[in-house]
Amino acid sequence: MPFEDIAVAVQIAFTYYTVIYLTGIGGLFSERSGIVNIGLEGLMVVGTVTGSFGTYYFSTKLGLGVPMGPILGLLFGMACGALFALVHALATITFRVDQIVSGVVINLVAIGLARFLSTLFFGQATQSDPGQPHLTPWDIPGLSSLPWGLGRAFSGLSPVVPVAFLVVIPVTFVLYRTRWGLRLRSAGENPEATRSLGVRVAPLRYVGVLLSGAFAGLSGAFLSVEVVYNWREGQTLGLGFIALAALILSNWNPKRLMWAAFLFGFAQAIPLRLADAPLIREIPDNFIRMTPYVVTIVVLAGFVGRVRPPAAAGRAYESAGGV
Amino acid sequence: MSDVEAGRSGAPPLVVMEHITKRFPGVVANDDVSLELREREVHALVGENGAGKSTLMRVLYGMYSPDGGRILVRGQEVKSSSPRVAISLGIGMVHQHFVLVDPFTVTENVILGDENERVLDMDAAHERVGELAQKYGFVVNPRAVVEDLSVGEEQRVEILKVLYRGVDVLIMDEPTAVLTPAEAKELFANLRQLREAGKSIVFISHKLDEVLEIADRITVLRRGKVVGETTPARTSKAQLAEMMVGRPVLFRLEKPDVEIGETVLQLDELHGEGKLNGLSLEVHSGEILGVAGVEGNGQRELAEAVIGLRRPSGGRVVLNGTDITGEHVQAIRNLGVGYIPEDRHEQGLVLNMTLWENAVLGQHDDEPYSSRWGVLSLRTIKELASRLVQLFDVRARSIDVTAGTLSGGNQQKLILARELETDPKLLVASQPTRGLDVGAIEFVWRQILEQKAAGRAVLLISAELDEIYALSDRIVTVYEGRITGEYPPDAPPEEVGRGMLGDVAAEVT
Amino acid sequence: MATVAAPVEKVRPPWVSNLGGQLFSVLLAFVVALFIGALIIIGYGENPLTVYGTLVRFAFKDVDSFGYVLQIATPLIFSALAIAVCFKGGLFNIGVEGQYLVGMLTASWAALTFDFLPGPLLMWTALLFAMLGGMIWAAIPAVLKVKTGAHEVVTTIMLNGIAVNLLGWALNGPLKYRQEGGQVAARTANFKDNALVPDLGHLFGMRESVHLSWLLPLGFVAAAIVWFVIRRMRLGYEARAVGSTPGSARAGGISVGAVQIKLFMLSGALAGLIGMQQLLADKGYLPVNFVSQLGFTGIAVAFLGQNNPVGIVAASVVWGVLSRGESALQLETDVPREFVIILQGILILSVMVIYQITRRRLARRQLQAAAVVEQVPEAA
Repeated sequence: MPFEDIAVAVQIAFTYYTVIYLTGIGGLFSERSGIVNIGLEGLMVVGTVTGSFGTYYFSTKLGLGVPMGPILGLLFGMACGALFALVHALATITFRVDQIVSGVVINLVAIGLARFLSTLFFGQATQSDPGQPHLTPWDIPGLSSLPWGLGRAFSGLSPVVPVAFLVVIPVTFVLYRTRWGLRLRSAGENPEATRSLGVRVAPLRYVGVLLSGAFAGLSGAFLSVEVVYNWREGQTLGLGFIALAALILSNWNPKRLMWAAFLFGFAQAIPLRLADAPLIREIPDNFIRMTPYVVTIVVLAGFVGRVRPPAAAGRAYESAGGV
Repeated sequence: MSDVEAGRSGAPPLVVMEHITKRFPGVVANDDVSLELREREVHALVGENGAGKSTLMRVLYGMYSPDGGRILVRGQEVKSSSPRVAISLGIGMVHQHFVLVDPFTVTENVILGDENERVLDMDAAHERVGELAQKYGFVVNPRAVVEDLSVGEEQRVEILKVLYRGVDVLIMDEPTAVLTPAEAKELFANLRQLREAGKSIVFISHKLDEVLEIADRITVLRRGKVVGETTPARTSKAQLAEMMVGRPVLFRLEKPDVEIGETVLQLDELHGEGKLNGLSLEVHSGEILGVAGVEGNGQRELAEAVIGLRRPSGGRVVLNGTDITGEHVQAIRNLGVGYIPEDRHEQGLVLNMTLWENAVLGQHDDEPYSSRWGVLSLRTIKELASRLVQLFDVRARSIDVTAGTLSGGNQQKLILARELETDPKLLVASQPTRGLDVGAIEFVWRQILEQKAAGRAVLLISAELDEIYALSDRIVTVYEGRITGEYPPDAPPEEVGRGMLGDVAAEVT
Repeated sequence: MATVAAPVEKVRPPWVSNLGGQLFSVLLAFVVALFIGALIIIGYGENPLTVYGTLVRFAFKDVDSFGYVLQIATPLIFSALAIAVCFKGGLFNIGVEGQYLVGMLTASWAALTFDFLPGPLLMWTALLFAMLGGMIWAAIPAVLKVKTGAHEVVTTIMLNGIAVNLLGWALNGPLKYRQEGGQVAARTANFKDNALVPDLGHLFGMRESVHLSWLLPLGFVAAAIVWFVIRRMRLGYEARAVGSTPGSARAGGISVGAVQIKLFMLSGALAGLIGMQQLLADKGYLPVNFVSQLGFTGIAVAFLGQNNPVGIVAASVVWGVLSRGESALQLETDVPREFVIILQGILILSVMVIYQITRRRLARRQLQAAAVVEQVPEAA
């Protein structure tokens, strides 16, 4: 039944969506505050290993079981992501190291750090024991009983998936309806204006970067805890860079980011489930997997639409003169 | 004047700055400066570029902490310096370069940093800002996005930002520099209204006519020191000018007597990017043509079209009979055009490269400085640089230091030396003395006159009428990308002024 | 003009004081990084001095060991040079990663397709195609930047993602190894022996498992060429002008776009050679689990070497010493081998931070010095 295949592909796409969207929101907070963060992938990596450890620790070692263990595990991954992002914040905001270089270093170090932590946590460098506890998969009431197998798309989803859909509400509210959001966006557009009105830029940017770590960390933890059920080296699969691509496609807008994340998520799901479908059969998997990157280049080059990044993103801010 | 007299004997001054000293690496920007600001007055702070006006006001606004002296506001000493403290004391500043968040609305820009509530109620905020604008007679739509506004409107947003914070003291840093005359007129009306409403205004400027028109009191700064305080009634333009520069201004330079020859540069109906709207002019050998105009009327585009940095969308640029429209900069330079850009840091020098590397820029791919294979000859380049530095008296420790370590005057000398080295047939000089001190100005002027003496053509573009008069053989005015008049070098300034404001004058020849 | 020039006092040329400053900041960064590293080591209950001693001693303990160090350093030299070339022109080529992957692809294809070529000709063809592959992949962001203004950092990140998939596709398709007997493997067939870069290690009595090849001297040559281009050639001069003040460069008659494209091409060619150590010296075929990340590591090495060709060669060797030390930690201490990557990360971050601080110091001092000169009274 092709409908069912599509439905399952959509269900897989929801998983990828969750990873891409959460990481993308992280990137959004950072870049809207004026700090480019190409270290999202590395932040995710840290989230995967710490999330997995947290889940093991809280559910098995402390015996909290499910759902408390995995929930605390996810939160632990989130916290560790934020902590690691502190390195990027310190380097770029306080010491004004080039934001791209710092991001690259974050990615490089993350690989080593993950192994380092893994030996510490699990006694082995590249993975944890498989079959860890996870949250009970969830069928969305109503939607999961759609006919012709379409319900499959909405069945057996991690409870984190709906969270990744609903999070747009608080994020949009915070960014566009609160004082802090206004200030954060101004810091990313024109920090001189922010500063000249007596608002300090650095704290805003610190929070922006820490949030990027928290969201990327959560996203990584989701991968290891809720998708794979254990930590494995390399399980982020470059999704951090795809999140970056989605962020660009969305023009740094949390609502449009949902579309971009789902589109790119679906592109990842196709080779997994629809590889035998007509037409798709003819296209090598790798070509489908590279679509997000191609789309982003096309958009960046201005062939389709126009993107406008936060004006001050990438530029170090130095408050003038004395004080 | 009765206001001022009353202020003198009556209420204590609103702000007192006592013995303020502010040093920057290598420079004393303010040297024991004292200043009083009274209630309900427009206090002009005049001085040349670099006299320390902006620095002093930034100290008052808390952006710089002074190295010495103290500030009293309503008799209370101000302890810490930050803009936030200044604002809480009722002191606000409108910067020369606007600091606005372009994609934000007027309201968002105004309330930023002073939003009242954690969760924003934008409708209420729009209303508040609208009411504020109305109160002081400002025409601006609170819901408009800043990037769609004109320069005059953006300035009003900047003023609103300050008023929104309930300040009593408004510091305006060179507010008219970016405005058209009509916009300036509106600004003055606004300022008078603000004074009526009880505000005090510090007006930083080096344009003496404006100062005499709007100020109640005037303080003159020179080289970081106060050289005098006066009122418009008690002084004159000439007197102010003399105080500003410390010697009678307008050193008259002898214009060399040279036969004006054939047409070197001819511009035919240049159009481009809405900035050039059918601009035509001619410059002849042995002639200095002065292009006068308020900044932003296409002067930059004009210069860039001649040197090849900008391709005009219509019209022709003809040099010695050859059409060079849209040619590459290198080709145009090779035909004998020298270029003194209005912004020497953006278009003149590479600040973190050495003097010798800068000295060869533009000739770096010619023999003998680089070979056919693209290898540079460092020895000949350094010889060139040493020669230029000596000839033009560029003060530097060595030709191996970076250009960024030079003062503005020495940087400009280096550019002049470089651009004149190739014996150009045409020199395009755009605002050639901007930001320079008097000594350097005189040097630059002499060099330009020497070009004329050598029979070269000079296209002089300047916003300073003094400069235009001091050098030009012929004056044209530019307004909105068009030539609006042509005048002999002894035409009355009022007439030239009319041309700068767009009144198309009858051609006087 | 009858003026006498101000007394020109003899000063150190800026590159000398720059070099001094750079060396100082790198050394200081080492001290800082080793200190932070020491805290971690103490956390493992080991003596930092012993651990660091082990690290260094292991790299130099015999000729084989140092051979391994140089083997690790070889691709890093090319990688960091590729970064530095673009950086001089104000361009950030994050795409070195993708460019070297594509270089491995084109070189593999050439080595398998032109296998009829005699003698070293096949090797040179493979190397040439590696450079070509890198250049093609570098041309895309370069042209996009010049023509459409698309920022090279983002486009190259995207192109890296495409490159990985391109290799994945090739290894499962056109370049897939079909052994006799129908067995397939996701790798290319073995290249002919004359496609490989000759071994250098045996000249120094190194073991056969040390794959120190003539690529190392080629790396030195590349460093020399880069130095010459940047400091002595017009392209380098124009690149530095474009990199710091594009407006002034343009007004000086330099075609900014042309310079940027040339730099990207040179960078891409260098990037193409990164994978050759792996392809033509270590393996002799393109494996599915090819070593990646070398392009990113190159960024770290380039900054450790302060984007200076000599510095880069030195930094590559230092990086090699540290990486080689991983095994030593494993064998001889309780500190896990991953400590080295962390140490490298701390090192590069400290270099960047300290470089920022010293540079600002230096700029301030230069300004002061200039002001003193200004005060020399007018000579008439």
